[in-house]
Amino acid sequence: MPIFRRLLPALLAVAALAGSAPVRGQITVTKPGEGKVALDLSGLRATDAAGQEVLAVLRADLERSGWFQLVGSGQGQVAVSGAAQSRGGQLQLHLEAGVPGARRLLGQTYRGTPAQARAVAHQAADELVKAVVGRPGMASARVVFVNRRGGTAKELFVMDADGHGVVQLTRDNTLSLSPKWGPRGDRLVYTSYLQRFPDVYLIELSTGQRSRLSAFPGLNTGGVLSPDGRDLALILSKDGNPELYVMQLATRRLTRLTHTRTAVEASPDWSPDGREIVYVSDAPGAPRLYIIGRDGGRARRVPGLPGNEQVNPSWGPDGRIAFSARIDGRYRIAVASAQGGGVEVVSPADGADYEDPSWMPNARHLIAARAAGRRSQLVLLDTMGDPPLVFSAIPGDSTSPHASP
Amino acid sequence: MSGTKWWVWVLASVLVISSATGCKRTVRGPGAAGRPGPGDAVTPWDPDQIGLEGWDSPERPFDLEGRIIQELQGQFDSVYFGFDRYAVDASERPKVERVAIFLRDHADVGVIVDGHTDERGSAEYNLALGERRALAVRQYLTTLGIDGSRIQTRSFGEERPAAPGTGESVWSLNRRAEFSFYR
Repeated sequence: MPIFRRLLPALLAVAALAGSAPVRGQITVTKPGEGKVALDLSGLRATDAAGQEVLAVLRADLERSGWFQLVGSGQGQVAVSGAAQSRGGQLQLHLEAGVPGARRLLGQTYRGTPAQARAVAHQAADELVKAVVGRPGMASARVVFVNRRGGTAKELFVMDADGHGVVQLTRDNTLSLSPKWGPRGDRLVYTSYLQRFPDVYLIELSTGQRSRLSAFPGLNTGGVLSPDGRDLALILSKDGNPELYVMQLATRRLTRLTHTRTAVEASPDWSPDGREIVYVSDAPGAPRLYIIGRDGGRARRVPGLPGNEQVNPSWGPDGRIAFSARIDGRYRIAVASAQGGGVEVVSPADGADYEDPSWMPNARHLIAARAAGRRSQLVLLDTMGDPPLVFSAIPGDSTSPHASP
Repeated sequence: MSGTKWWVWVLASVLVISSATGCKRTVRGPGAAGRPGPGDAVTPWDPDQIGLEGWDSPERPFDLEGRIIQELQGQFDSVYFGFDRYAVDASERPKVERVAIFLRDHADVGVIVDGHTDERGSAEYNLALGERRALAVRQYLTTLGIDGSRIQTRSFGEERPAAPGTGESVWSLNRRAEFSFYR
C-alpha cells in the first residue's frame, strides 16, 4: 500500500521557503511527505459563465496535479489572482501568481476561442505548476486508450488528462490494440486486425490518414516510435518466433535485436534518450523486464524487481521505469530505476488488477488500467501518494492507456 | 551442431520412440529423405525446434480471408495447451497429424493456425504467447512434411475466448490453437 501523505500543515513548506534559495524563485517540494504548497486562489475572478468554466477547470487541474493544497484567502504560501472572461468572442484568462509580499512567480494572459475553454485552463494550470514547483504539468496531455462496449470489437479513443473530451478515433469493428503516441503527440502507432491479421499501423492525427507500417507473415505488434520519431520498435514473428526488431521508418529497413528462439518478447518501450529499449521476455520462464541497446547486442535483465512476473514497461521522462508486477496473485503497478533500484509499488492492494501503466509527462503520475470484477477502467495513479483517481464516467471496458508527451 | 551430436540426437529419438511405442511404421508421404511424413504413428518432435523456421516470403498470401474454405470451418479439433506452455503435448498431436494428412492430400490448400491464451496476464504478452502456440503447431506441421509457406499463423492472445467466464475449467478451453483453411 502506498503511503498516503495528506498535507502536513503549511509549516514544513514554509520552512522550505525560508531555507536555501529555491532555483528561479520556485517553491521546493522535493520528496513525498514534505507536504504541498498552500495555494490561495481567492484572487481569481470570473465575470461570466465562460470565465467561470475556465476557472473551474483550472482549479480541478491544480488539485489533480498533486502539488497543491487549496486554501482560503490570505492563507496561501502562493497567491494567485486574475480574471477570466469572454471578450468579443474571445476567451481570456489573466493570471498573476506570487509569494505574498515577496516574489512574483508568474504573470501571463491566455487566450482562446470559447470552444478552447478547457484547453486554455489546462495550459494555464501547467504553466502555474512549472512556475511554482519547477516541474512539468500534465493537464494538457491527452490519453489514447482502447475501449470495448459490448461485442468483441475494440476501438481507439482519445481523452484529455482530466477524463473530459472523450473522442472515438476508430470505427473498424475489429481489434485495435496497444496504441502509442509518437514523440510529438501528432501521430499514433497501434496494432489492428483491419486486414484480419495483427498488423502495425500509423495514424496521422492532423489528416486522419492511416498507413500500414508492418504486415509480415505471423505477428506484427508492439509498435512504438523512438524519441526522435525515426525508428519503430516492434515485435515480429516472421523469422519463426516472436522477437524484438527496430524498423527505420524512412527505409523500412529492419534490425533484429533479440535471438531467443525458446522465448517470446513483448511490449517494447524506448529510453528517453532513444539509446535503449526496455521489453518483456519470458526467457527466464516467466515474463520479466530486459533492456537492450537500440542496435542490439547483449540484453540485461532489470534486477531486483518485485513479483513473480513483470510486464507492460513504460520508460518515463525522468528515466524511471513503471511496470505491472504480479504480487501475491494480483497485478500491481510499481516503478524502479533502469538499474532496478528504488522500487516503489504505487497502486493499492485493493483486490483489483492494475496493468498497462503509462507515464504522464509530469513524470509523477501514471495512467493505467484497473480491472475489478469483469470491468476494466482507466485510473490515474500518483507516485507521490495522492489517492488513485478512477475515470468511472467512461462506459465499457477501457485498457492500454498511453499519455501524450 | 556438430555431426557427432546430430547422430546422438537421431539415435536417442529412435530409441525413445521405439521404447515408447514398441513399433515404428515406415516413413512415407512428402517427407522423403528420412523426413517423417504425416500418417506416421509417431513422429520425433522437439519443442525446442520452434522458432527456427520463419517464412521465406516477406508477405502473407493475398486476401486470405476471402479465400477461406467455409465448409471446413470447425471440422478439425482445436489443439489445447497447458498453462503458460506452448509445446504441443503428445495427447494433442494426433489432431495436428490429422491436419497434416489433409494438407498432404490437398496440395492446393493452405492453413491458418490461430493461437489463443486464457485471460490471465498481460494482453500484450498473451498476444506473443498465442503466436508462439500457433508457431508450435506450424512447427509440428512442417516436421510432418508440410511446407511452411502453406501455414500462416495468427495470434488473438486473450481477445477471443472460446468459453466465457473464469476458472481453470474455462481457461483450459481457451488455451488453444484453431484451424481454418484457404485455397
